[in-house]
Amino acid sequence: MIQVENLVFQYPGNDGPTLKGLDFSIAKGEIFGFLGPSGAGKSTAQKVLYKILEGYKGQVNIDGKNLSEWNNSYFERIGVGFELPNHYLKLTGKENLELFAAFYPNGKKHNSTELFEMVDLADAMDKPVETYSKGMKMRLNFIRAIQHDPDILFFDEPTSGLDPVNAHKIKQHILDLKNHGKTIFVTTHSMETADGICDRVSFIVDGKLVLTDTPRNLKSRYGKEAVKVDLKNGQSEEFPLKDLGVNPQFLEFLKQDEVKRIHTLEATLEEVFIRVTGKSLGDE
Amino acid sequence: MKKIFKLAFTDFKLIFRDPSLRSFLVLPVILFALIIWAVPPLIEKYAILAPYLSLFLVVGVIENTQMFSFISSMVLIDEKESDVAKVYGVVPLNKMEYVLSRFLIPYLFTVVLNLVLLFVQNICDLSVGAIMLISFLAALVVPVYALAINSMVQNRMQGMVYIKAFNMLVLIPVAAFFVPEKFVHLFGVFPTHWVFQAIDKATQNLSIGLFAAIGFVFFLSLLWFVSRTFVQKHFV
Repeated sequence: MIQVENLVFQYPGNDGPTLKGLDFSIAKGEIFGFLGPSGAGKSTAQKVLYKILEGYKGQVNIDGKNLSEWNNSYFERIGVGFELPNHYLKLTGKENLELFAAFYPNGKKHNSTELFEMVDLADAMDKPVETYSKGMKMRLNFIRAIQHDPDILFFDEPTSGLDPVNAHKIKQHILDLKNHGKTIFVTTHSMETADGICDRVSFIVDGKLVLTDTPRNLKSRYGKEAVKVDLKNGQSEEFPLKDLGVNPQFLEFLKQDEVKRIHTLEATLEEVFIRVTGKSLGDE
Repeated sequence: MKKIFKLAFTDFKLIFRDPSLRSFLVLPVILFALIIWAVPPLIEKYAILAPYLSLFLVVGVIENTQMFSFISSMVLIDEKESDVAKVYGVVPLNKMEYVLSRFLIPYLFTVVLNLVLLFVQNICDLSVGAIMLISFLAALVVPVYALAINSMVQNRMQGMVYIKAFNMLVLIPVAAFFVPEKFVHLFGVFPTHWVFQAIDKATQNLSIGLFAAIGFVFFLSLLWFVSRTFVQKHFV
């Protein structure tokens, strides 16, 4: 669906390029994530793909057609969830949504009331956006991005500014979109978001892609394929996952006391990121 | 067309819901009151003002354009500052359609204000043709002004500074009325000079065709240039 080869982009006036030769592809129905610290080039890459930034070098194909050859119809096929809330504060949530809905053909559009209900904003849809909290505005960002039922979705830090409950709901909605065949490109510096929703992630640092794989592969490749068992008596031991169910030492150890905790020793995405890139996701 | 009217209608909602912008809508009323009721008694009382009749109209016409120049500039600056402009960059709306939708109504509204002002004033006798030409020409200040400002500024604070500067810039060619004849058209580098000269000729019942033509070419060229600059910067 999306193929990117040797993508280079430099902002006018900057000394060097922000994107330094990115290669990646996103299959139809896949959730693909860019994981990296602020300033790594995540949002810039998305902006090139949704045609806000021009003057890039390299090849970007959408459905086999060069991005530059797509006309305005491209914008009917994509939806963009921006990193920060961007709405007319003097208009109500519903007026904001309906204003931008007016630019799309009628056929595929979702019912606006249902969208507000979906993100628990039904009570606030007729109130001016200036009365919304940041989390409410972010949820409005989300439904604005999906209201015309686009095939390709770009979400820039989709859970930023949301409380844990709403962040979970938005992640669930993104997974639902994937289940409906949507192709989704997410950028985030939240390991939890990337791990929770992405089929594949790329680590991006200083405008370069360092590693691309599924979160599961990354975590197991850079962690231990083992479990650690903690007993209530304070004993603790590690056992390999292979043949765990028939491992006599493991079975014997379980009999020694009540089990307090059993957990796998796979690495978190953040640990993998730090080991691979030498940088933390919080780095500027 | 539906998109254009939707956006234009939204602009009016934004204006009426913002007290600072809404208050600017009374500006033309004040201006009309001054031109209709305050200026004629002044001219009658002070004969020294008689040679400057056209100046009253020049100021009246240009101030008429300032209402929507300010309002449109502020609406777009707010849009830029709040990042709403970025949303327009990713919807299926042609960028020139966007520009047209933001300025068609303010432009036509300003044309109507100028028509009303020039028809109801009783300072000078003007032909219908001249009134029409001057009204359509002078209203072009609105899109050029707002697009130029929005090609340069990033936020409200910068916007206010530039608006102050532009308010002075549009009036600078008034100085042409006070310099020797051979220096008058040195002010032609300012587009409003040609509007002012057209008004001056109209008050003398002379042909305004040449000045109006230069004015239209100047304004439309500027409009093309600032629209392109604006489109490159506004949605990023």
